[in-house]
Amino acid sequence: MGSKLLIRSYNVGCGDCIYVRIPNGLSSQGGEDFFHILIDCGSKEGANTNVMRRSIKHLEENMLPPVDPDDTKSRKRLDLIVVTHRHEDHIKGFDPAYFKNIQIGAIWLSGAMDESHPQAQKAHALHNLAAVGMRGLAGSTGLSPELQDLVGLYGIGNEDAMEALITELPKRSNIEPTFVFAGDTSDTHGIKIKDTKLTVLAPEKDIDGLYLGKNTSAKVEALMGVAGETGKTGKAAKSAKNGNPSNISGADFRALQKRLLSNALAFAVDDTTIQNNVSTVLLIEWGGRRMLFVGDAEWNDEFREGRKNGSWNVMWNKRQPFLSKPLDFLKVGHHGSHNATPWNRDAGPEHEANQILDAILPLPAPRKKPTAQCVVSTKRKQYDTIPDAQLLVEIGKRVSNTINYLKKFKKEEPGFKADNDHIANYSVPKKYSTPPSPREVGEAGWFDKPQPVRTDMASAGKAFIKFDPKGPAEWIDVEIDPK
Amino acid sequence: MSPRERKRITKATRLRLYSSAKYLDMGTGGELGLRIPFDVYIQDPQVAKNHLMFGIAGDLVRWEPGISDGPTSARFAVVDYDNDTGEIAPLAKWVDKDGVGCFVDQNNKPLGRNNTTSLQFDQVNVWALLQRALEFFESGPGLGRPIPYGFEGNRLIVVPHAGYGKNAFYDRASKSLQFYYFDDEQGNRICTCLSTDIVNHEFGHAVLDGVRPYLYESSLVETGAFHEFMGDLSAILLLLRNNTFRRRIAEDTGGMLSESMQLKRIAEQFGAAVTGNEYLRTAQNDLKMSDVSDSDGPHRFSEVLTGAMYDILIAFSNHYLKQKESPAEAFWHAIDRMQRVAIQPLDLLPPVDVTFRDYAMAVLRAEQLANPTDPHDYCGMMLRIFQKRGIISAKDAKAFKEPRYVFHRLHLDVPHSVEDISSSRAAAYRFLNDNRKSLFIPANQDVLVADLYDANKTTRQGLRMPRQIILEYVWREDIPLEGSQFGDYEGRMTTMLCGGTLVLDENGNVLSWSRKPGTTGEGRESRWEAECKEGIKRRDKFLADLAKRIKKGQVGAVLGSGKGILGSHVPPVVVSERDGILQFKLSPHMHLDGADQEHYQGGSRWEVSS
Repeated sequence: MGSKLLIRSYNVGCGDCIYVRIPNGLSSQGGEDFFHILIDCGSKEGANTNVMRRSIKHLEENMLPPVDPDDTKSRKRLDLIVVTHRHEDHIKGFDPAYFKNIQIGAIWLSGAMDESHPQAQKAHALHNLAAVGMRGLAGSTGLSPELQDLVGLYGIGNEDAMEALITELPKRSNIEPTFVFAGDTSDTHGIKIKDTKLTVLAPEKDIDGLYLGKNTSAKVEALMGVAGETGKTGKAAKSAKNGNPSNISGADFRALQKRLLSNALAFAVDDTTIQNNVSTVLLIEWGGRRMLFVGDAEWNDEFREGRKNGSWNVMWNKRQPFLSKPLDFLKVGHHGSHNATPWNRDAGPEHEANQILDAILPLPAPRKKPTAQCVVSTKRKQYDTIPDAQLLVEIGKRVSNTINYLKKFKKEEPGFKADNDHIANYSVPKKYSTPPSPREVGEAGWFDKPQPVRTDMASAGKAFIKFDPKGPAEWIDVEIDPK
Repeated sequence: MSPRERKRITKATRLRLYSSAKYLDMGTGGELGLRIPFDVYIQDPQVAKNHLMFGIAGDLVRWEPGISDGPTSARFAVVDYDNDTGEIAPLAKWVDKDGVGCFVDQNNKPLGRNNTTSLQFDQVNVWALLQRALEFFESGPGLGRPIPYGFEGNRLIVVPHAGYGKNAFYDRASKSLQFYYFDDEQGNRICTCLSTDIVNHEFGHAVLDGVRPYLYESSLVETGAFHEFMGDLSAILLLLRNNTFRRRIAEDTGGMLSESMQLKRIAEQFGAAVTGNEYLRTAQNDLKMSDVSDSDGPHRFSEVLTGAMYDILIAFSNHYLKQKESPAEAFWHAIDRMQRVAIQPLDLLPPVDVTFRDYAMAVLRAEQLANPTDPHDYCGMMLRIFQKRGIISAKDAKAFKEPRYVFHRLHLDVPHSVEDISSSRAAAYRFLNDNRKSLFIPANQDVLVADLYDANKTTRQGLRMPRQIILEYVWREDIPLEGSQFGDYEGRMTTMLCGGTLVLDENGNVLSWSRKPGTTGEGRESRWEAECKEGIKRRDKFLADLAKRIKKGQVGAVLGSGKGILGSHVPPVVVSERDGILQFKLSPHMHLDGADQEHYQGGSRWEVSS
C-alpha cells in the first residue's frame, strides 16, 4: 500500500467526494509523509441521510494524519482541498462543522468563483440574475419537474457552502483561499510534493469570453443595465412595480406573464452549464502516471472563438499537450452524464469530442488490454439521463477496472434477476411535462456489459441507494502503481 | 375643412357619423375627425436614421368611440410590461377634446415626430400600425368582414417592450403580440415594436389564426410554412400600401420593380437594420417546391409561395406600366389589386391543413369570381407563375382552364335555404347533418361548425361583390401512432382534423367548396372512393411529417412557470394530452435572428447540469 497512489471515491449519492493520497509526497517532513487531497465534497442528498458527515468523519478518523505526529489527538491534516465548481453536489459538504477537527493546508477554488475576477463579471452577473429569478420561483406551485430541478439548484444552502469555502474554512486554518486558473501548478502556488506535479487545465482566465460567448455576454450586459429602464435612450420607465395593468383584467395579465419569455429561466439553464464548464480540472502527474480530475466539465461540438464553449473543447484547443497523451486515470465527469465525457456517438473519429476521447482513453490495440482506470461517482434515478448507459459501456472498453455488475450480483446472490429487481427497466418517478410520463429508462442493454466501477453499484443497496443515516461510510478505491 | 370648422363637429355628431365611416374616403374621414393623424415609422428608427426619405410619416387611423389610454381600442390593448424588470410602464394618455384626439406622454406632450423618445411613443406607434393593418384585412378590398381572433376574446394584448431578446411573436395562449428589444453590435438598442415589418408580420399570424384557427393544430411542415408566408405577405403588402413609402420607391425605381436594383438594395439595407427582417429580399427568389421539399422548417418552405405572390405583384405592376400609367399610378394599382388577389382568397381556404396548392387554387377561384371575363388574362398569368414554381401541377392547370360555369349548385339530399343555413351555427349544423352523404361527412363523426360568417368584399373599382356566406366545418378522425418512428409517442392515439369550407352566394350558388377529407366513407360510390383515397393520402402525409419532426426532436413541451417560459425550449410542435389523446400544435414562431426553431433539437431531452 505504501508506494501506491490511492484514489478513494466516497459514495455520497449523486455528488463528488474524492480523496487522493500521494505516497512519499512530503518526504522532507518527519513521520507520515503522504500528501492528502480532497477534491470536492458535495451531494444531492439531504442532511438527514448523514452521508456527507459520515464520509468526512471517516476521512478524518481513518485517512488523515494528525497535524502533530506526536499528538494523535491533535487536529488532522488535510494538505489541499480542490473545489471544482459551485454546484451543491460538489460543495454542499463543506460545512465548517464537519471540518472542525481538520487543519487545511490550502484551498484551491475554481478561478471562476472569484467574484472580483475581471474576466468573469458577466458570468457572475448571469449567475446572480438567474439566482434572483429562480428564488422568486421557489415555492411556486405547478412547476414542472424539469423546472423544479432548476429552481432547486439555487437554494440558499449552496450559498452558505460558498461562504464557508471562501471565508470560514480558510479562517479556521489561518490561510487564504486560492483561485486557480488553467496553467497554474503546484509550484506556482508554493506546494512541493515529491516527484509530483499538479497542473490546472481549466478554467481559462477569460471566463466571459470563452465560456459565455458573445450572445450571452451581450444579453447579460444589457440586462445588467436594464434594471429600471427599458432603453439606453433615456426612456426611463418611471413606473412602480405595481399590480395589474389598468386596461386588461388580472386573469389576462397572469396568463400573459406565464407566456412571456423569461431571461431568468434562460440564464438559469445557461448558468448550470457554464458553472460546469468552469470546473477546476486538475491533472496530477506522479510516478510517471497521469491522473485527471475533471469535476463536471462539459463538451460540445467544437471550439469556436466568441461562442459558449464546452470546457473540454477549450482545453483541447488551449492546453492540448496535456490531453494528447493517454491518461492512467480519469474521474468520469458529471456523474456519468452524456455531456461531460467527450464522446459523440453519432459522429466519426474526426469529431473534436471523439478526438479527445481517443487521445486520453484510446481503445486498446487488438489483443491488448486497456491499462487506464477510472471511477464514476453517481446515483441512478437522480436524473433520468445520469448515468448515460451507452457512454459507460464505451468507457468500459477503454479502461481496465471494469465490472460486469449482473454477473457480480448473480454471484453474490444466487437467483438474482435484474428484471425482478427492476434494474433492467425502471421508471423515473417524476411526472415530466413531455409525454410519456413517467419516463421509462432501460438498462437492459448494458447492465451485463463491462463498465467502470461505480459508487452506486458498489453500495450496500447495490443499484438502489437507500442511505441509512446510521450506516457506515461507503467508497470505491482505485490504486495506481508508479511506472 | 379648417381646424376651426372641425371643432364644430361635436362628439355626439361624430358618434352618429361613426357607423357610416366605412363608406367615406380617407380624406373625408380625416376632415370629419373619423380618422386621426398619427406619426409612425415607415420602416424603423435605423432606416429612418440612414435614409431620411424613409423616416416618419403621417398616417390616418380609424377613430372609434372606445379609444382610451394604453392605447386601448376595440381590438387592441397595449400593455407595456417588461418581464425582465417586472415593471409596467405608464400608458400613453388619450386626450380627445373638441373632436381632435391624440395621445400624449406623461408630461402631456403630444406624441409624434417631435416627441419620439419616450416609451409612450413606441406604444402609440405599434398601436397605430396595428389599427391600420386590421383595417387592411377587414375592409372591402380585404376580407370584407370583421375578423375574429383565434383565442377566446376580442382584444389582442400588445406588449411593446416585453423583455430583452431578439424576438417578437404572436402567442395565442396569452392572446398577445410580444415584442422584445435587444442591442445590436454597435450598441444601439433595437425595439422590435418599432419595426413596421415585424409588427405586420406578427399580426399576419394573428389574422390567419383568427381566420383559420385550426391551422395551429397541424404538424404539417407546409401548413406551418403557410403561416410564415402569411406573415411575410402581410409585411410586404402593408409596407407597399404605405403611400409615402410607395411613392418614394416609385420615384426611385421608375416603377420597374422587377429589374430594380434599387428595391433590392433598399430591401437589403432594411434587412441589415433589424436582423432577420428581410421580407422584401426573400420575396425575390426563384425557388420551386422541389427545391424545398426536404426542408424541415417553415421559413425556407414559405419562400416559394412568397416568391410566387411577389412575381404576381411585379406582373401587375408591369401590366399597368405598359398601359402608360406613371410609375406611381402603376405601383398603386398593382398593390391595390394585390390586396384583393392575396387576401380575399383566405375565405375560400379549407379549415385545416392548408397547403400552398389550396391557396393557389383559392387565389385563382377568387379572381374568377371577382373578374369573370378576365380581359387581361390575369388568371392565366397567375396560373403560369404557380405552375412554374411547382405549386400547382399541369393537371391542375389544365383542369382550371377547361370551360365551365362560374357557379354550380350542390346535389343535396335535403335542401336548406341560404337564409336558414346562415342564421346560426346550429342551423348550419342541421344542414350539414341532413346532407352528410352529399357533403362526404362520415355518419359516425360529430361534425362541428367551426365558423359561419358573411363577407361583403369589393372589387377593384370599389364595387360590392355579391354577399358571401362562408361555412367552415371540421371533425376529428382517430389515428393510432404505430411504429418506432413515433418515438416516445409510439402506441398512443392522436387525431387528424378533417373538414371543409363551403362558400355560397346569397342565392345558394356554390362559389367555392374546399375539402380535407377523412379516410372513411359511406357506400361505394366512386365519389366517396375518391374522397377516401385523398383522405388516406392526407393521413399518410400527416404521419410522415409527424415522424420526421419527432425524429428531429422538434416535438415536445413548453417549459415554463408563472413568470414566463424558457425560449430555448419551445419546440416547433408542442404536444399536449387530453382525455388520453395527443394533440400536436404549432408553437409561436420565435427567434428573429435565424436561430430558428427549425433547427430545434432540444425537445427530446432535458437535463439540468447540476
